[in-house]
Amino acid sequence: MEGYNAWRLTSLAPWPRWALAVLVLAAVAAVALAWRGLRGEPRPGRRAALLALRAASAVLTLFLLVEPALRLLQTSRVKSRLAVLVDASRSMRFPVEPGGRTRAEAAAAFVGRHRGELEALGDRVSLEWHTFERDLAPADPAALVRGAPPRGGRTDLLGALKAAAGGGTGRKLAGAVVLSDGADNAALAEGLTPATRAELRALGMPVTAIAVGTGSPKDLALERVAVDDFAFVRNTVTVEVGLTVRGFGREEVPIVLRREGAVVARGAVRLEPGQERYTVPLSFVPDTTGTFVFTVAAPVFPGEAVAENNSRSFVLRVIRDRVRVLLVAGRPSWDERFLRTLLKQDPNIDLISFYILRTATDQPGSQDELSLIPFPVAEIFGEQLRTFDAVLFVNFAYQPYRSLDIERFLPALRDYVRNGGGFAMLGGEQSFGEARYGSTALAEVLPLESPEAAGIATGAARPRLTPEGLRHPVTSLAAGDAPNEAAWAALPPLPAVNRTRALPPGSGARVLLDAPAVPVDGRAAPLVAVREVGSGRALAVATDASWHWGFVAAEDLGSSRAYQHFWNNALRWLVRDPSLTPVQVEPDRPAVEPGEPVGLSISVRAPDYGPGAGAPVQGELVGEDGQVVARGEAVAGPDGTAHLELTPPGPGAYKVVATARPRCGSGPCPPDAPIERATGAVAVRASGPEDADAAPRPELLRAVAQATGGTFSSAEAGLPEVRLTDPEVVEVGRRKDLPIWDRGWFLAALVGTLAAEWVLRRRWGYW
Amino acid sequence: MRRRHFLELLAMGAAGLALPSRGRAVPASSQLIIGQVQHGGRWNPRPSALRRLQWELAQRTSIETGADAVPVRLGQPGLHRSPMLYLVGDGALPPFPEPERAALRRHLQYGGFLLVDAADGSDGSGFDASVRRELAALLPGSPLLRVAREHVLYKSFYLLDHQGGRLAVKPWLEAQVIDGRLAVLYSQNDLGGAWARGPLGDWEYACTPGGEAQRETAFRLGVNIAMYALCTDYKDDAVHLPFILRRRS
Repeated sequence: MEGYNAWRLTSLAPWPRWALAVLVLAAVAAVALAWRGLRGEPRPGRRAALLALRAASAVLTLFLLVEPALRLLQTSRVKSRLAVLVDASRSMRFPVEPGGRTRAEAAAAFVGRHRGELEALGDRVSLEWHTFERDLAPADPAALVRGAPPRGGRTDLLGALKAAAGGGTGRKLAGAVVLSDGADNAALAEGLTPATRAELRALGMPVTAIAVGTGSPKDLALERVAVDDFAFVRNTVTVEVGLTVRGFGREEVPIVLRREGAVVARGAVRLEPGQERYTVPLSFVPDTTGTFVFTVAAPVFPGEAVAENNSRSFVLRVIRDRVRVLLVAGRPSWDERFLRTLLKQDPNIDLISFYILRTATDQPGSQDELSLIPFPVAEIFGEQLRTFDAVLFVNFAYQPYRSLDIERFLPALRDYVRNGGGFAMLGGEQSFGEARYGSTALAEVLPLESPEAAGIATGAARPRLTPEGLRHPVTSLAAGDAPNEAAWAALPPLPAVNRTRALPPGSGARVLLDAPAVPVDGRAAPLVAVREVGSGRALAVATDASWHWGFVAAEDLGSSRAYQHFWNNALRWLVRDPSLTPVQVEPDRPAVEPGEPVGLSISVRAPDYGPGAGAPVQGELVGEDGQVVARGEAVAGPDGTAHLELTPPGPGAYKVVATARPRCGSGPCPPDAPIERATGAVAVRASGPEDADAAPRPELLRAVAQATGGTFSSAEAGLPEVRLTDPEVVEVGRRKDLPIWDRGWFLAALVGTLAAEWVLRRRWGYW
Repeated sequence: MRRRHFLELLAMGAAGLALPSRGRAVPASSQLIIGQVQHGGRWNPRPSALRRLQWELAQRTSIETGADAVPVRLGQPGLHRSPMLYLVGDGALPPFPEPERAALRRHLQYGGFLLVDAADGSDGSGFDASVRRELAALLPGSPLLRVAREHVLYKSFYLLDHQGGRLAVKPWLEAQVIDGRLAVLYSQNDLGGAWARGPLGDWEYACTPGGEAQRETAFRLGVNIAMYALCTDYKDDAVHLPFILRRRS
């Protein structure tokens, strides 16, 4: 037939499939019935003739009912596609071999040399040109010959092959030619796994792989830093640094770990010929909580291909596992006893206690019969001091123990507070001015002035909340001003108060509770005061009878919750419990790639600890040199949270500083509204995955080619055989059905077979 | 003035001079002053015992003590100003009225401490039977149990391995525990009898069978009990362990 080049049989019957099935069954049944009825026929010839006639009738009946036809088709073969993928990731900047041209230049030269051969395949396949790195992008072959600068931050060969296979408006990809250094850092980063091998095979096409780059340039790369996202303060943290070293001799490479500029750990690795990968563990003990940027760095050696991959930054959040509290008591007392009981009950507190159980004048007997231990002054106030989150002096004097010379450690204790520690001094006859603390270095951080030998007022001193105490978390026994005042008013009066004075304004100290019944210089004596000094906090409780708020109160009120509440608040405030922080800042991600913005979530709490809706907030990125490098402002939303995006100028470690005025959320902002501050850290990576390892991976390309049934070659060796799958055959154009059942002799044959069977049966006596 | 009275005052004055000078005025509210429970029986059979114990505490330890104990009534306000109570008796006690029992229970549950001392050396009768009945009703969920030899009570100041008292009725102490803390401590060995000392400096009662060594142990036990009341399990802190093990070995 003109224009038709293929045919196939088809049915023109309008019957559904089930109806056809019924017809077939009926035909089989008709033959089976005939066979059953002829079982007694002794003459095989007659039986065979009648069965043959019945079968022929059945077949002819089916033929007529199915209505067979000849379908004529006009078909043609469609061209499949061939994708040429040229690697445009940054690793193509590295030289093909030490001192040689870049891999990108080599790839461009290869395209220039073999473009014609590839285009010659155009009669079989439709040729597509792409570059690939993180994503696949169409490319102009002429531009590929000229060579475009490789900028991609990632190499994803499998992703590129999948993207190429999925494109092409449904046309099949018959093959791919990949021109790359093989330095994949996505799904194939660890080589071919069973899963990735299966994915490659599922593409159903051979990959022709051409490796660019054979020799590894001299390079030392900190390829990997393995460390958890968080660590516990005062617990050893081990950072595992993975190095890839190529092109070096026997050398020792020092590795340092810095926290925001300060070296916290050092290590070294001895390079051996033939070994490329090394792991160096660096251990350190973080001594303060917070979020910090750490940087691991190795020196940059002459001739290295990439200098940026010799350092790596990461963010580590240092948290406390338990709050470590040092309690030093000048003598056993009920104040010490009830406080110890309270602290010991809290599973989140690790309490270290030292009590003076005897003085020089006491005569208990032989030392060997006592359970007393020497007071390890140098240890706890020296080397161990920074390991404590808070230090509590409970009626503790420094002078009586001449041989211990505790006074020489007081400056260290002052510095401990300034550097972030929490310190509380509780009253008694060995405290404040009674112990002449006013003339020591500790006075510089104490929240109260401690006049010497001012004495202890005895009597009934009822505590009174000051305006600042009304809002402060330490003295918050109940939500709201009036309930809080009522809660304090219900507590029993104190029988003894150390006479002290409030510090002048500007000192950073605040009196939260005072005792109107105890006048000092005509003003109510402070009872509870707080002070923020440097990055630390100090608390003063000018009585040794705070236990009256618990045990004595329980007699009248049936509850000691006020005492528990007060001391829990005080301790949480001292150690800067995050739940008490009015401003918090959290980067969206601890580390970002170069050029990416840093997202910051800043949450603000109002003075009543509700969301600080409407509060103005400011976020800053501060470089390691202390300079502000990016700044942004926003207003907290209804949930008290604002989001900012700041763009750091380049790789490095940045401190994140968020400030807000929580009291300025609603209504006019009072001029003296305090500015609250929170800090965090974020790292901008100096080197991405493309720079981490400069070595080409021809073996990966060879494995990809083998897994897909393709071929492999190096760029220098030229273009290998480009294997393609068979082009897909599809129908196009016309079709025509020619019925073949509607011939008269088919009907005549059917009538003939039926009549013949009828005649023969009658003749042979079956009817 | 009779000669005996004069000599008593002279002796007391001399004892006062011998007291160490602390150099600081310690308010009474900051001192350890044991509250002696007044009950319906013979509640104060050893009037000088606690005075002497408090004096010994001041002599031997850094604990600041008052001159004497204070009598307290369980049903009266102010019970909680004395976290450490002393309940002693000679002979049977009448049952405590329920309000007094409730007040004492609350005192102990909020952190108070009660030392119970059988002055009559009874065992199964007299004070012993009465006080066991009262303690069972006081803390029904905390039965009296022997205090283990390894308990921190025996190392809270002195390292002790035996009991003291006027008598040696039982070689152990018993206790009722609340939240892991000894809240009630019971001695059947008449600790107060060993502590009691007359104004002329003579011991009021002989200690049997151990004599003066037994008396010294009674004082040391008294010191440890006061230390435990004020410091609880401080000596169980890990930092003390190596020192204590070395001295016990």
